Amino acid sequence: MNYDDIEILFAEDSMEDATLTIRALNKSGFTNKLLHVKDGAEALDFMYCKGIYSERNPKSHPKLFLLDLKMPKMSGIQVLEKIKSDAEFKSIPVVILTSSQEDPDIAKCYSLGANSYIVKPVDSNNFFNAIKEMGMYWMILSQPAL
Amino acid sequence: MNIKEKNDKKEAFLSPDQITFHQKEKDQNNTAPGISKKKVTTPNNQKTDKTLEIVPVITKSVLQNNEKQLAEIQILKELLKAKEQLLINHVNAINTTNASIEFDLEGNILSVNEIFLAIMGYSEIDLLGKHHSVFVDPSYSKSNAYKLFWSSLKKGIYQKDEFIRVAKNGKMIWLLGSYTPILDTNGKPYKILKIATDITLAKTQFLQLAVQAQEKEKRASELVIANKELAFQNVEKEKRAAELVVANKELKFQNEQKEQRAKELIAANKELAIQSKEKEKRAAELIIANKKLAAENILKQKRKVEKEKRAAELIVTNRELAYQEKRTKELTLANDELKKAQEELEAFSYSVSHDLRAPIRAINGYTQILIEDHIDAIDDDGKNVLNGIIKNSNKMGVLIDDLLAFSKLGRKQVSAVNINMKTLVTGVISDLTIEKDENTPLFEIDELAPANGDPSLIKQVWINLISNAIKYSKYKSETRIKITSTSKNDKIIYSIKDWGAGFEMEYYDKLFGVFQRLHSQDEFSGTGIGLAIVQKIVNRHHGTVWAESKLDAGAKFYFSLPDIKH
Repeated sequence: MNYDDIEILFAEDSMEDATLTIRALNKSGFTNKLLHVKDGAEALDFMYCKGIYSERNPKSHPKLFLLDLKMPKMSGIQVLEKIKSDAEFKSIPVVILTSSQEDPDIAKCYSLGANSYIVKPVDSNNFFNAIKEMGMYWMILSQPAL
Repeated sequence: MNIKEKNDKKEAFLSPDQITFHQKEKDQNNTAPGISKKKVTTPNNQKTDKTLEIVPVITKSVLQNNEKQLAEIQILKELLKAKEQLLINHVNAINTTNASIEFDLEGNILSVNEIFLAIMGYSEIDLLGKHHSVFVDPSYSKSNAYKLFWSSLKKGIYQKDEFIRVAKNGKMIWLLGSYTPILDTNGKPYKILKIATDITLAKTQFLQLAVQAQEKEKRASELVIANKELAFQNVEKEKRAAELVVANKELKFQNEQKEQRAKELIAANKELAIQSKEKEKRAAELIIANKKLAAENILKQKRKVEKEKRAAELIVTNRELAYQEKRTKELTLANDELKKAQEELEAFSYSVSHDLRAPIRAINGYTQILIEDHIDAIDDDGKNVLNGIIKNSNKMGVLIDDLLAFSKLGRKQVSAVNINMKTLVTGVISDLTIEKDENTPLFEIDELAPANGDPSLIKQVWINLISNAIKYSKYKSETRIKITSTSKNDKIIYSIKDWGAGFEMEYYDKLFGVFQRLHSQDEFSGTGIGLAIVQKIVNRHHGTVWAESKLDAGAKFYFSLPDIKH
């Protein structure tokens, strides 16, 4: 698989959420190249070209991070912290996805430099709309200057 | 001796000199010529040289002699007249300043002058021919002294003194004067002349003085006697006092003796008492000693028992201590467990929201995929089923959110600031979203008193209550909501009234329970968390929430919050 030119890096341990999210993005007309990773560790492997991503072009950076907070091995917040403390990556917008408004890490995410967060609604229509709006906002903002 | 007696005495005993004197006067009177035919009063010492007797003679010579004699007579007559005039003058002179009265030798009144009448208060007619005794007290007039007085006068004895006489009005009159027997030509007394002066005033004063002097003397002598008596009494008193002092001393001595004896007796009694007490004491001591011995034996046994008991108690205490220690440990453990439970609860809340939502979301999402992408392969019945899945998974999502919100309330810090309730309620009303099947409510909002509380939480209370009021009024022709407040003690009580479906008071106890509903889901949608949240919020503000209703006649909800003044 060619890991270069990945525009959206999407870290999500839940296959269902990932499927629904990707579907929502696709249905909303986003054709951007998206890579779905299963946890935080894999996300960082991708960023730092480690493990299975050691072959990829380190100069190629995604335009948007979609980061689920609750993940095995390495949580979204750890990934966020790492990316935002790295000068090379800190300008990349990070959107946090969470299943709960009650997540105690939301406030921490903002302090670490997260650009936005989305509470994934149960209602599929609401979920679709939320992802669509998010995608539009951030992908359009992150268009490279012509 | 009274005055009358004195009077009598004086008149009764004339001195030999006086008598001698009267004799002389008598002798002189004998030598003086008297006029028998004419009564002329002359003083005793007046000397009348000649008294003529005229005898008629008829011869020539005799006639010549007669003429000569007539001339002589005439001369003599004139001489006589002159003398007579002198005498009258004399008498008048005496009568002008003195009282005078004349008596015959028996004492009958012959004449009386004006002064005498004035003094005695009589008129001349009253007295002429009356006896002298009218002027004296009857007791005197009947006495021998009075008879002697008059017999002396008859004999020609001169009387001169102060006489006490009785006036017509009975008043005593003192007269200073004299009773003088007037002698006839033969030298014999033929009448008595009394010449007197009224000395009653002087005499009375004198007598009064005398009486007073006498009284004084009497009193002085009485005083002397009294003084003597007093002196005697004083001496007696002193004597008695001295005797009393002696007697007192004696008594004192006797008392002292008695006291001493009493003291001695008391001392003796005490000694006896002490001795008997000592005896008793010794007896008691012996008894005590015996008892002590007995007691010691008992005590020894008791101590033995106590030691055993204490040992047992110590065991118990140790056990108790061990138990308490255990309890403390248990409590600590329980606390830790509680903390852990709370942490777990928080984790659970999070997990519920996070992990329960994910599968439901998946169910919902996948169903949605079926509907959107594979609808042609599903018949109408299948489509209904898919819609049911979507609807219920959505509801599950809402339930989870409500449950989470409710559990969150228990952990949330409640701030206390002054809330302008009118502004807050107005804000809630303007943010309301009215569902399609609901009426646009008509609000009637009173001036609402401010209260202390957490604005975001109290806002939630109003949202829930107002939403309920709107929701449960949706089958009525109109929706009316009335909001009021009253102040009671240190609380403000807010109320919200609607005229909607209401509820049966029979189920009141379920009203504020979590997920408790009094209406069917078909009738009124909802999870049954709204009023539970209201109660939790109000309770966390130390307030109370309650309600009253009648089925189909509306409901009125009340809740109290602390007054800003408290």
